Amino acid sequence: MEAATALLEGRNLRKTYRLSRRNQVKALRGVQIRIEPGEMVALMGPSGSGKSTLMHILGLLHSPDEGDGPPAELSIAGVDVTSMSEGTRTRMRADTMGFVFQSYNLVPTLTAAENVALAGEYAGTGRREAMSAASEALGWVGLEERAGHRPMELSGGEQQRVAIARSLVNKPKLLLADEPTGNLDSGHSQEVLALLRRFNTERGQTLLLVTHDAEVGAFCDRIIHMRDGLIQDGAASS
Amino acid sequence: MRLLRQLSRRKLRTTLTILGITIGIWALVVFSSMANKINSLVAGGSEYFAGKILVSDASNLALGIGLAPMKIDVADQIRDLDGVAAAAAEVQMIFDPTANAFGGAQTIVGTVAGSDNGHETFEIRAAQGRLPTAADEGSMVIALGSDMARQQSAGIGDTIEVRGERFEVVGILEPTLTTPDTSVFVPLSAAQLLFHKILPAPVQDAIPADQLISQVVVYPDPGTDPAALAALIKERVKNVKTLTGAEFDKQIGSATAIFNAIIIGVAVISLVVGGLSVINTMAMSVAERTREIGIKRAIGGSRRRIIRELVTEAAVIGFIGGIIGLVLGAIVVVFANEAGRSSGTILFDLTPGTAIFAVAFSTILGMVAGVIPAWSAARLDPVEALRYE
Repeated sequence: MEAATALLEGRNLRKTYRLSRRNQVKALRGVQIRIEPGEMVALMGPSGSGKSTLMHILGLLHSPDEGDGPPAELSIAGVDVTSMSEGTRTRMRADTMGFVFQSYNLVPTLTAAENVALAGEYAGTGRREAMSAASEALGWVGLEERAGHRPMELSGGEQQRVAIARSLVNKPKLLLADEPTGNLDSGHSQEVLALLRRFNTERGQTLLLVTHDAEVGAFCDRIIHMRDGLIQDGAASS
Repeated sequence: MRLLRQLSRRKLRTTLTILGITIGIWALVVFSSMANKINSLVAGGSEYFAGKILVSDASNLALGIGLAPMKIDVADQIRDLDGVAAAAAEVQMIFDPTANAFGGAQTIVGTVAGSDNGHETFEIRAAQGRLPTAADEGSMVIALGSDMARQQSAGIGDTIEVRGERFEVVGILEPTLTTPDTSVFVPLSAAQLLFHKILPAPVQDAIPADQLISQVVVYPDPGTDPAALAALIKERVKNVKTLTGAEFDKQIGSATAIFNAIIIGVAVISLVVGGLSVINTMAMSVAERTREIGIKRAIGGSRRRIIRELVTEAAVIGFIGGIIGLVLGAIVVVFANEAGRSSGTILFDLTPGTAIFAVAFSTILGMVAGVIPAWSAARLDPVEALRYE
């Protein structure tokens, strides 16, 4: 019987950053990773273990290195993205993925609704339709009343909820979150995690969370531990 | 709306950049309006002189107008030459020797109506009343160019004083945007009287008023080369100089070209400075918004889209600067023309073409200036940009 298609599958993912002619950092040393549709996975590890680099590659923000070993392979929702052009990767990022960052990363001059709508516009939705979808997405995170507020007028927890609404507005197959609770107090952290879990349970949203926080890891279905640019054997589930 | 909010985020810098563009466009509008006026005067002169020859006394120093006294029998000598269809004897003199001649000298033109035998192609029409006729010879009637009518605040039937003589206004001319607007037209006899009065006593004694003219306008027969006829006139008639249409175009054209180059050059320099200030603003803006650009790239904003957003922003800066510069330039033009109207000195002509060009130019300048910073913004690595503090 043929195995079900993974939502995300990477093989031989390597990344070396050349800081100078003599100084280089091997951030990833040949990572193999597979995430199934509907999973909520935590990617954990100490600083410098390569988890953010891995997220950037899985999120198509960077490409894996070629050479020095077996060829890198990366597929998302069954589509081979290894040799995609920059433009196609950007398009795929807009259509297939949502991003949540530690420091919210909202555009300060735009209102909450406009920030959410921006992701829709970048995915090719017209401005009016994108604003309508943004209102709906803000409703999912309980912020419909704050749609006209700018980021500086919102609390940290609210800003992160706006960022979650932005990441979900295009109904992406994969949501990538980099330390989503890193800047929040415990109350707001629980709120955000509960929200993410709700989307995972109710909609089958696949999530990959990069975190240092064991509590966040415990919230997920599975933990992938990283150290020195590699996924630790025998630590792929909890 | 979103874009204006983005610009208002950096109020001081945006305002200063818009101010830079505004000054450039202001200069472009004002100087171009001045060039328009001068060009229309020159074009009018060129049209007037086309196909004819102006004959004046050899001592005459003015270009395109005979101001030195000569005897009317010069016109008779010219009429007798082969290739001459008509030779109209005229008196031209300065309307007010104390007035500023910049922007078109005010002149008195005296001629016997119809002495061109119907060969004159430069049409001057009366908006009100009529032009002097041959029947007016011996009477003191006057038709006023459009600017002169405004300057004199005179209407049909009014009496005005010109060089110490009283004239009845019988006509006000349609605007031509060139020399006739700042001219008055009188019968030849009236102009001879005025001209005779201002001449030194020895000249007055030598030439009676009714024998006095200052130029002859010669209309060649069809098929006659004006240059060849001008050479013939200089050969057969003593002590005269000639000016053909081609010579007028050559002499005045090169002077106008230099003038235009200088004033447009000044405006372009102002605009280059304005353009550099847009580049500076956009480059600073991109540097300040590195993180924001990283966010946009991360959530799916394509390079083309980022370029489009930033170039549009720069174009809006250019457009706003252009509109403000145009409005301020138009205010200067209107006020300067109104102030100069009393003395008949209309210096500026702001045409719709100049206005549209100025705003379009500033918008395009903004876009072009925004391209380089936008391009570098779009090339940013989103991950690096997101780390930027």
